[in-house]
Amino acid sequence: MNTESRKKALHYFYEKVVGPLGFKFTPDAELREFLLEQEVILEGKHGVPFCPCQPLRHDRARDMQIVCPCIPFHRKHFDAIQRCWCGLFVHQDVTDPDKLPQLPPKEVGLE
Amino acid sequence: MSDKYIRAISADAVAPGGMKAVELDGKEIVVCNCGGKYYAVQRRCGHMNAPLDMGTLDGMYLTCAMHCAQFDVATGEALSGPVPPDFGGETPPRLLGEYFQNVGMLMGRIRTESIRTYPTKLEAGWVLVAPQAGD
Repeated sequence: MNTESRKKALHYFYEKVVGPLGFKFTPDAELREFLLEQEVILEGKHGVPFCPCQPLRHDRARDMQIVCPCIPFHRKHFDAIQRCWCGLFVHQDVTDPDKLPQLPPKEVGLE
Repeated sequence: MSDKYIRAISADAVAPGGMKAVELDGKEIVVCNCGGKYYAVQRRCGHMNAPLDMGTLDGMYLTCAMHCAQFDVATGEALSGPVPPDFGGETPPRLLGEYFQNVGMLMGRIRTESIRTYPTKLEAGWVLVAPQAGD
């Protein structure tokens, strides 16, 4: 299967999901293309486009919570850091994603 | 290959975002309405032959209802294979478990192929398809 075609399809489907959640794709095109490509690789391996930045635990219930876009399962955390863990999605008002550090939940007072 | 167009279905019989199965020249074909633009693809999924008109169409992307393999209806390209099933974490009875294991082993060897597309055109409120001109 063609990686570029699949990336385009994932982009189409994700955009429809993350918009109503208040997020958008990162304006960093290089990062966006890289992360989508990693998801296509993960989908080829596991049949599901998992988040490329979080570990699989081989526990289906937990692993399903990191299927991209995983925003609904980590809403408070991602709202606090204005991005998803990978940085593939950022809050809609973000223009400079480089200013958003990747902070774990503990560091934003969520654990 | 002939590019003879045949009346497939009335254009207003396929709502935007909808699909309808037709049989033309002995071929099972699905006519897709992607926002007013019509595409025709083979009816059988490139994974396990399920009828694609039972699936969903979102933009140009058709998802098979059986195992969620996805295809681009404009090119017929297979975009993703089957999604692995979930048995809810429960261990099925032994014989059923062995059956699933066997089916899983066989399914793991099935490739998802791209599907055929057919040229279409609109004429006097009808969608015309050239069933012999498929790729």
